[in-house]
Amino acid sequence: MTRALGRLLVLLLAVLVLVVCVVPLAQTINTAFYAETAYGLSTARSVAALLTVYTTGEYLGDLVEALILSVIVTILSLSLSVTMAFIMARARLRLAGLLDILIIAPMFLSPFTGLIAWIVLASEETGFVNMAWRGVFGDGDALVNIWSYTGVVWVMALFFTPFAYLFTVNPLRSMDASLEEAARTAGASPLRSILHITLPMMVPAIFGAGMLIFVLAAEMYTIPGIIGATAGFTTLPYQIYLDTTVSPVHLARAASGGTILLWVTLVGIMIQRRVTRRSERYVTIGGKGHRSRPIDLGSWRWAAYGLTWGYIICSVLLPMGALLVYSLMKYSSGRLGADVFSLVHYRNLFSLQATREALGNTLLLGILSGTICAALGTLISFLELRTKGLLIIAVAFLAVLPVAVPGLVYGIGLSRTYLRTPLYGTIWVLLLAYIAKFLPYAIVVARTGIMQIGRELEESARTCGANPARVLARITLPLLKATLVSVLFFVMLMSIKELSASVLLYSERGPILSVLIWSYMDSGNFQFAAAIGVIQSVIMVALVLVTRLIFHVRIEGPLAR
Amino acid sequence: MSDHPFIISRRAALAGAAALASTGTAAAAPGPNDEAQLYELAKAEGKIVWYEAAPLEAMQNFVVRFETKYPGVKVQLMRTSGPQQYQRFLQETEAGQHIADLLLLSDQPLTHDLVEKKMLASWRVPTFDRVPESFRIGDFAYAPYTTDMAIVYNSNRVTEDEAKLLGSGWKSVIDPVFKNRFAIVKRKCGACYAPIQMFLSPKMEKEYGLPFLRAIAAQRPRVYSDNPIALDRIIAGERDFVFWLWEGVALTKWQEGAPVRWVRPSPTPLFGNSWQAVSANAPHPNAARLFQNWVMSEEGAKGLQLDYGGMTTLIGYPDQRPITNEAWWKPITEVYSVDWDNWAKNYESDMTAWQKIEDTARG
Repeated sequence: MTRALGRLLVLLLAVLVLVVCVVPLAQTINTAFYAETAYGLSTARSVAALLTVYTTGEYLGDLVEALILSVIVTILSLSLSVTMAFIMARARLRLAGLLDILIIAPMFLSPFTGLIAWIVLASEETGFVNMAWRGVFGDGDALVNIWSYTGVVWVMALFFTPFAYLFTVNPLRSMDASLEEAARTAGASPLRSILHITLPMMVPAIFGAGMLIFVLAAEMYTIPGIIGATAGFTTLPYQIYLDTTVSPVHLARAASGGTILLWVTLVGIMIQRRVTRRSERYVTIGGKGHRSRPIDLGSWRWAAYGLTWGYIICSVLLPMGALLVYSLMKYSSGRLGADVFSLVHYRNLFSLQATREALGNTLLLGILSGTICAALGTLISFLELRTKGLLIIAVAFLAVLPVAVPGLVYGIGLSRTYLRTPLYGTIWVLLLAYIAKFLPYAIVVARTGIMQIGRELEESARTCGANPARVLARITLPLLKATLVSVLFFVMLMSIKELSASVLLYSERGPILSVLIWSYMDSGNFQFAAAIGVIQSVIMVALVLVTRLIFHVRIEGPLAR
Repeated sequence: MSDHPFIISRRAALAGAAALASTGTAAAAPGPNDEAQLYELAKAEGKIVWYEAAPLEAMQNFVVRFETKYPGVKVQLMRTSGPQQYQRFLQETEAGQHIADLLLLSDQPLTHDLVEKKMLASWRVPTFDRVPESFRIGDFAYAPYTTDMAIVYNSNRVTEDEAKLLGSGWKSVIDPVFKNRFAIVKRKCGACYAPIQMFLSPKMEKEYGLPFLRAIAAQRPRVYSDNPIALDRIIAGERDFVFWLWEGVALTKWQEGAPVRWVRPSPTPLFGNSWQAVSANAPHPNAARLFQNWVMSEEGAKGLQLDYGGMTTLIGYPDQRPITNEAWWKPITEVYSVDWDNWAKNYESDMTAWQKIEDTARG
C-alpha cells in the first residue's frame, strides 16, 4: 500500500463516516432546536425544549435514575462476567465447551422477549417460580417479584453479562501467562497474582466491556419502562420513548434528551482513551509463544461450578423454557391445563407472508451489517492506532458518537436524513442505520484487540520487507481473527434484535422480526410475540453455528487459547 | 416506487407516478357508487398500503375478507401506534414520499389536524348517511367502529356478586372490598382519556372530579405501563380487574377462550377513537377508495365485528357479535358523548394530573 493509497483510504472512510454516522447525528441534534406544537414539531426555531430538558427536575431526575440503574447493572454484570471469564479461561472445568456456549446463550434472546420470559416466571401471583415455591412451601409471600426495581436490575444484569463475558474471555485466554507464572514462582498466591498481574493487564478489555454495558443499559427503555411504571420510577430513555410515541408527541424534547446522553457517553469515551492511553502497557500477545497453565481451584471448583451453572439456569434454561411454554399458550394463565395450550401461534407464524418475509430480511440485514461493521471497525482502529494521523483519529472519534444516542432518538435523525432520498422505505435504510449504530462497538472492540498485539510482530515483518497491507493481511488479521469474528457475531446479533431505530425506519415493504414482535406485543398478543421470539433465537443460534463452520472459529473464544 | 423491498425507487419516478395518478383520478374519477369501475381501476393499481393502529392479527384477518372479495387487490398492512403514524404520515407527505393510501389513525384531534392540513381526501362513502355525524369528520374520515369504557375482569377471580357491584356504577371501584385487587394503566392515549374527560366534565365533576380519581389511587391498585400488559396480567390472574379498558380489546381475548368479562357502568363514554381516511396523495387512489367503501359497508362492519369485536357505527346494522348472546353481557344503557373541543384543549393537562395521582397509588 503506497502512502497515497493510504491517504485515499482514510479520506474514503472519513466521507463514509460523515454520511452514515455524523449527518444523522447532526439531524438528531438539529431536531432539538425546533418549537413544538400540540401535535408535533413546528417549523419555527426554539430552544424551549432544550431548556425544559436541561433545567427541569423531571428530565434531570429521569437522567439520574437512568445513570444509577446503569451503574448498578454495569457493576453487577461486569463482576459476574469477569469472574466467569477468569474461571473459564484459567480453571480446569468439566464440560467447559458446553459451559462456554451456554454462558453467552442469553445473547440469543432480545431483552424484551427475555423480559416476557421473566414476567411469566416471576410475576408475584402467577409466576411459575412463585407457583412452584408456593406448591412446595404452601401459601405465603412470593419468592421473587419481577415488578420491582430489583426485578429490573436482575433481568438487565442477566442479559448484559454475556456481552462483557464475550469481550473479556478472549483477552484472558490469549494473555501471555509468563508474568503470572513468574509471580507464582516468586511465591505470590494465585489470588495475589490475579489481582496484581492479570487484572491490571485486563484493564482495557474490562473497561471496554464496562462501557459497552453502561451505554446499552443507559439507552434501554423497554425493561426499565415496562417494569418502572409499576415499580415507581422513570428513566430518561423511557421518557424519551414516551415523548416520541405517546400523544402529545414531543420530538424536540426527545432529541434534547438524546443530547444529554450524548454528553454522558462523550465523557465515558474520554475516560476510556485516558485509561488506555499507553497502549503498550496492555500488550498481551507478544512475539514469543506461550501457553498458560490451568489453575487448580481445589475445593473452590464447586463454587465455580455453582456460579456458572447458577447463572446458566437463571439466564438461559429458565427464561428460554418459560418463553417456549408461553408461546404454546392460547392466552396467559397461571394454570397449566391442557386446554390452555395450542400450536396456533406457530401455525399462524409460518402461514403469514409477513413473517416469512421478515425472516429473510432479518437474516440478510444481520449478516450484512455484521460483515461491514467488522471490516470497517477493524480498518478504522488499525489505521488509528498504527498511523496516528489526525484525520483518522477524528474519524474514529466521530464514528463512535452515535452509540451515545438512544436508538429511538437516533432513529428520528436517520429518518429525517433519508426521508427525501430514494433509500427511504427500503430495507437498505435499516442497513445504514445498523452500521451507524453498531460501528462504534466494532471500533471499540477491534481497538482493544489491536492494542493487545505487540508491535514487534508487525515491525519484524516490516523489517523483512513487507508493506503495511501485507503486514495487516499476514500478521495482524490472523492474530485478530477471533476478535473480528466476535465483532461480526456481536453486530449480527445486535442487528437482529435492534428495535428502537427500526420501529421508525421500517416499512411495509420490508418487515423485520424485531418490529413484528413489538407490533404483536403492542397489539396485546404476547404469546404470538413469544413464538416469534423463539424463532428469532433459533435463527441466532443457527447463525453462530454457520459462522463457526465458515470461519472455523468458536466464537466463544477458545481459538485464542 | 418498486414493491420490492430491496429495490431503490427513483424519487422523480415516484413523484411523476403520483402526479399522473392524481391527474388521472381527477380526469376520470369514478364516483363512490361506481363499484365495478372502481374495482377495475383498483385491479390495475394492484395494491393498497394501509397504515393502521388497531391490533395487528385482527386486521390481518380483516383484510383477508377484502382480498377474497376483490381478488387482484392486495392490502399491505403497516401497524404503527397513532401518534407515530401521524408523525410518519405527516413527514412523508411533506417530503413528497407518498407511501400510505389509507390510514386507520387513533385520536380524533390528530385526524382532524390532517384534514385541516389538506392531507386527507374528500370521499363520500355510499353509506355516508348511515354514519352518525359524531363518527365522521366531514367526508374526510370515518370512525368505522366505536370505542367505549369497560371494567374488564378475570371471571375466575371476581364473583358474580362482585361483578354486579362493579357494574352498578363507576364509584363501586372504590368499595373497600376491591382494595389492592385491581390494576390501572399509566398511559396517555385517546381511549385512556375519554373516561378522565367524563369524570372531570362540568356535568359530572361534582359527583366524581379529582377526589374520585384520588380515591381510586388510594385503593392501592397495581399500575401498569400500558393497556395490553394490564389486560394480559388480568387474564393471567395477577390482579382481579383493570379499571379501565374498552370492550373491543377484551373481546378479542374472550373469543380466544380467556377467562375475561367486562361491565360498563353508566354513563359510558362511547366515541370514535379510530379514524379511517384516504390519503389525498394516495399512490393507489382507486384501490384506496374501494377499500374505504368496503370498510364502511355492511360487509366491512360484519368483518370488524367478527375479527376485531368492534361495534359498528353504521346505523341500522345489527350487532351480530357472538358476545351479545352471553347472559352476562349487557349493552350500554346511557352514553356519555365526548366533547372534542374540550379534548383538544385539556387532554395533556388532564392526563398529566391523572398520572400524578396514579403515582400516589404506590404509596
